[in-house]
Amino acid sequence: MKLSNPILVKEMRTRMRGKRAFIVLTGYILVLSAIIGLIYLVFTKNAPPSILNTAGRVLSAVLIYVQMGLICLIAPTFSSSAISSEREQETFGLLIATLARPSTILIGKLGASLSYLMLTLLGSLPLIALTYSLGGVDMIDIVKSYLVMMVAGVTFCSVSFYWSTLIRRGVLAQLVSIVTVIFLVAAMPALAMFLTSLAMNFANGPTTGFLNVTFLMLRTNPFAAITYLIIPGVPNPPNSVWFHTVPLWITQVLFYVGLTTLSIFLSLRRLNSVRKWL
Amino acid sequence: MIENVQTASAVGDTTQQTTSMIKLENVSKYYKTFPAVNNFNFEIGRGEVFGFIGPNGAGKTTTIKMLATLMLPTDGKLSIGGYDVVKEPHEVRRIIGYMPDSFGVYEDLLVWEYLDYFAALYKLSPAQRKRATSDVLELTDLTTKHDAQVMSLSRGMKQRLCLAKTLLHDPEVLLLDEPASGLDPHARIEIRELIRELCRMGKTVLVSSHILTELADFCTSIGIVEAGKLLAAGRIDEITAQLSGNVMLEITVKGDPSIAIEILQERPEVQRTTCDGRVIRAEYTGQADDVDELLDYLIQRGVRLLGFTRSQADLEDIFLKITRGTVA
Repeated sequence: MKLSNPILVKEMRTRMRGKRAFIVLTGYILVLSAIIGLIYLVFTKNAPPSILNTAGRVLSAVLIYVQMGLICLIAPTFSSSAISSEREQETFGLLIATLARPSTILIGKLGASLSYLMLTLLGSLPLIALTYSLGGVDMIDIVKSYLVMMVAGVTFCSVSFYWSTLIRRGVLAQLVSIVTVIFLVAAMPALAMFLTSLAMNFANGPTTGFLNVTFLMLRTNPFAAITYLIIPGVPNPPNSVWFHTVPLWITQVLFYVGLTTLSIFLSLRRLNSVRKWL
Repeated sequence: MIENVQTASAVGDTTQQTTSMIKLENVSKYYKTFPAVNNFNFEIGRGEVFGFIGPNGAGKTTTIKMLATLMLPTDGKLSIGGYDVVKEPHEVRRIIGYMPDSFGVYEDLLVWEYLDYFAALYKLSPAQRKRATSDVLELTDLTTKHDAQVMSLSRGMKQRLCLAKTLLHDPEVLLLDEPASGLDPHARIEIRELIRELCRMGKTVLVSSHILTELADFCTSIGIVEAGKLLAAGRIDEITAQLSGNVMLEITVKGDPSIAIEILQERPEVQRTTCDGRVIRAEYTGQADDVDELLDYLIQRGVRLLGFTRSQADLEDIFLKITRGTVA
């Protein structure tokens, strides 16, 4: 199959040609392997046999959490300089003066970032296969966790791409993208936890509306979604809150798909009005 | 005088109107309240080479960017090849080749990859891309650099590579913004030769520069801009004819030219003099047939002459005259 998007072809060429791509990929796999290896060593040396049986579950959970964390850090850097770097190196005008449509630019730039992101995610498959072989985790839950991670990666890349159309300086675009991701994955659950601890002090217990807001915030979080998928025994939301019958990972994925759609829409609108801001 | 030139060029003759490739009507561009381009009106006919002359900050780049569909005018209408630049940018992009004054290149790519990338963006098929890449490399004398890395090219070569990119889709109109800026004299000459070749190929070229001699050789028409105002635009011969009912004289003297200049300036019909070594260029505003009186006067005053000839006003003369010498 031939790639017909010239921007995607060019991005793949330049991205994979340098050392950076291989260093990031190798570093990513090495970090994951080191963490899993260390935990496995601790388990086999000190843990009693009853705990040792849960090694597969613990290692899989750790692997997925660490991967999710790494995606939060690296996904924004993949696409946050997509447009701003073109502007910085004065190639954007040349690109716009061609017959490339805004959708071509978006698909090319975002496609290249996502391809690389997927490559890093798929690169960890042998590790997850190893932890899966130790038992304790359902294959379907691992698949769902990977789906959550992939969707989160796509969302972070799309949001970062939008920032890159707005901010001229690449470094600043990258910084704002990372702050946005931190807000999405850390600030929301932090607020939810704060509200939960606040609720403990209510004389008659938290109101339904209060609980709804808290759980809705939790439902936007990929870490929460993964927790409900791979950690057994996490209490389900109370029956009184909205969507209590819907699994948390589904609403999380839907929320992120919505965010992605919004980012892409805004990016296209921005690229369509390029003559107003170039 | 300047107003007359503007009016004449704004209307243009009928033959130009029917074949005009580039047309600006009452075009203005304001950055907030600052007028970068103030009510420009001119046309460029098919196959013409239009020199856009003016100092830095005069509004040349802004005008070219608007024509290249990279910027919207605040007011007025621009069209290229009959297409409205604001409403039909995609059609305009199909027929123009744009080379900016300052540009970057993708340093990580090879020369052929760089050209192939842009050829693909212009929707050329793989076979067409290969042929076009080879053609433009030959035209720009970069064939030997086919497999070289872009980052290894010299500044002049990068400039030629950008020009090669501009020609990939065989555009009818070329918008070249200071194509030789920042180049050494040798590379400057190479770029000039290339543009001359493009003129021979019948392209309509709008080329900007603040160096008059760069444009003097191959421009058929010019636009002179200063501080966002179009002072004159039209065919060089038309502007020359309008500006100079006057005669330009080239007087070569033996000995100190400053004495000859002083004597010349005593005459009311001599308006402006410039000196290059022993050659004095003087603008004579009297009757063309009475030039011999000036010659007699110089001889009587003891000026030793080696030459006394009439010459055509060149770009420099036109520019100085129109800008009243304030920019030179």
